Amino acid sequence: MLSLRIDTLAKFFPGLDNPVLLVDFLTIAAGERVAVTGGSGSGKSTFINIITGLERPTSGNVVWRGEDISRFSETARDRWRAEHVGLVMQDFHLFPGLSAVENVLLPARLARVADAALTARAHDLLKGVGLSRPDQKIETMSRGEMQRVAIARAVLRKPGVIVADEPTASLDVEAGEAVGRLLLDMAAEAKSMLIVVSHDQRLIDRLDRRITLSAGRIVADNLREEVAA
Amino acid sequence: MIRFILADLRRLWAGAVVVVLLVTLATALGVTVTLQERALRLGSARAADKFDLVIGAAGSETQLVLSSIFLQPAPLPLMSGEVLARLSKDPRVTWVAPVGFGDSFAGYPLVGTTRALIGSTVSGFAQGRMFEKEGEAVVGAAVKLPLGAEIKPMHGTAQTGGETHAGVVYHVTGKLPPTGTPWDRAILVPIQAVWHVHGLGRDHGHEEEEHHEGEAHVTQAAAATDEHGHTPLEAMRERAEDHQHEGEAAAAAGHDEHGDEDHDHHGAIDADAPIDESFAADAPGLPAVLVKPKTIADAYKLRQEYRNGNTLAVFPGEVLTSLYATLGDARMVLSAVAAGSQGLVAAALVLVTVTHIGQRRRQIGALRAFGAPRLSVFAIVWLELFLLVAAGIGLGFLAGLAAARLIADAFTARSGIILPVGFTGEDWRMALILLGAAAVLSAVPAILAYRQSPAAALRA
Repeated sequence: MLSLRIDTLAKFFPGLDNPVLLVDFLTIAAGERVAVTGGSGSGKSTFINIITGLERPTSGNVVWRGEDISRFSETARDRWRAEHVGLVMQDFHLFPGLSAVENVLLPARLARVADAALTARAHDLLKGVGLSRPDQKIETMSRGEMQRVAIARAVLRKPGVIVADEPTASLDVEAGEAVGRLLLDMAAEAKSMLIVVSHDQRLIDRLDRRITLSAGRIVADNLREEVAA
Repeated sequence: MIRFILADLRRLWAGAVVVVLLVTLATALGVTVTLQERALRLGSARAADKFDLVIGAAGSETQLVLSSIFLQPAPLPLMSGEVLARLSKDPRVTWVAPVGFGDSFAGYPLVGTTRALIGSTVSGFAQGRMFEKEGEAVVGAAVKLPLGAEIKPMHGTAQTGGETHAGVVYHVTGKLPPTGTPWDRAILVPIQAVWHVHGLGRDHGHEEEEHHEGEAHVTQAAAATDEHGHTPLEAMRERAEDHQHEGEAAAAAGHDEHGDEDHDHHGAIDADAPIDESFAADAPGLPAVLVKPKTIADAYKLRQEYRNGNTLAVFPGEVLTSLYATLGDARMVLSAVAAGSQGLVAAALVLVTVTHIGQRRRQIGALRAFGAPRLSVFAIVWLELFLLVAAGIGLGFLAGLAAARLIADAFTARSGIILPVGFTGEDWRMALILLGAAAVLSAVPAILAYRQSPAAALRA
């Protein structure tokens, strides 16, 4: 179980006077389901990149269950991310030429942790997301199917946190609906924290908490009850 | 990882094929040059192996070796027949054999020589037997003539506008096993027949005076050949003409129909005449004799002794060595060209792959984002390019070998010299060096990919 605490975090980009992200303090509990919203340029992507260790903050701490990943080396952050983060992206980033199950297993194989149990889990997961042909080549699938493969890939190693960046934005309403449901189910099954960056109101409404960013700062942080109220 | 690389290569197969092809061609070029040069050196050395010492009239050493061992038709001065007689009696000599050239049949050179030479240089016959009479001939393994075939020799070669000797016919009595030398393409006839065809040496022993006179002309003719660059055949002919014009007595004794036409002085052979291989001092002039000395010390002594004003003695090896030096220079130039092309291909590959990595930034960023270790990303990019280049190098070596074989076969068909084309330790070392260079080259895009920030790559 993974929890997140952010302290006095600032991220500057060279050539820009204002920070692209400034977070004084933020905690997210293990297993919590959070939506992150905001207009473009509000710092959502930077937020995602920093909490997943893809980028290092200019200052401040990003502490996951006592480990401050902002102090890790790039290699250590890669390893940490592989172990603890399941990423789902807007345009899937699946690899053509490989089958669905090969795509699910690829990161684990590259990190040399894919064993028989993990391979079996990959097949189960594909069944779980409603795909009956694990050997189907990825480029022959529909976009909805591709995103389901991407979700299976994200949860393969039972990550402590699933981070989804606009997972439904490139899908039609129906497929988006299915993908949103799957994300929630999979997070629940793996008892993972779920952080979803989205504009999809229906998806946002299903999550427990909503953090709104604007110009790199948190301008609202509401629990669903409050939103509803 | 391998499956990922293979999937990637399958997706980019057209580019991959082009890369492999480029590397293959560049490698093959270098390999062919190296193999061919080495084969030429080995092949010519083996062809010269049987002949320890060549003695001819003073002139070009290279020409002497090329004409006598590689049977290249070329102007060669004649030396006095007395040299042959002296060598036959020399106790330091195992065997000595004259060689006389100038005629050809169906593109094969006719070489006049002795049974001693044939018997000592090849073991046995593939078919038939040795020539026993003046009208008989033995053919090399690569001569496409059956036993019993008729050979009507021609002056020079068909290309140089030769004419067929009227009334001269040899019959093939034997075929030699292959030796891998130009002699495989030769038709061997008794030297005595060559002399007689050209109106020389007839009736020796009876008309000694005339022959002495003739010998004086040998030197003249030799000198004339040097100046005018005539072929040995022409030299012989000239000598014979001199002989005729100035020595009427000799003509009266040896030739019945002379003075009518230019070619009439050419004698005919007596096909059934026995072969006389004991050479007296009055034997006609010769372009070259091949000598087998008894010991190495004898070889050096003989070489020393016959390197005087009138004769030239050479070890074929020493002449070949200086030829190889020239060959080596040519190879240097060709190798530089090949290396240059390899450098260009390498530069082109770096350009292509660096561009390619730029295009694949997102893919590489995604791999990292999903938790692929940096080293895996490095390995993927590195291995992908290295596999292509290594495949190209491998194919290049095969293509180079095939090309060298083809060239060697064509060369063998034309010259009879078998060129042993093959790889040696040197080539494997070269392959390793090329693979090493490929490994370093492939690291360039791999390092770029390794250093890429995944977040930046995904934003792109």
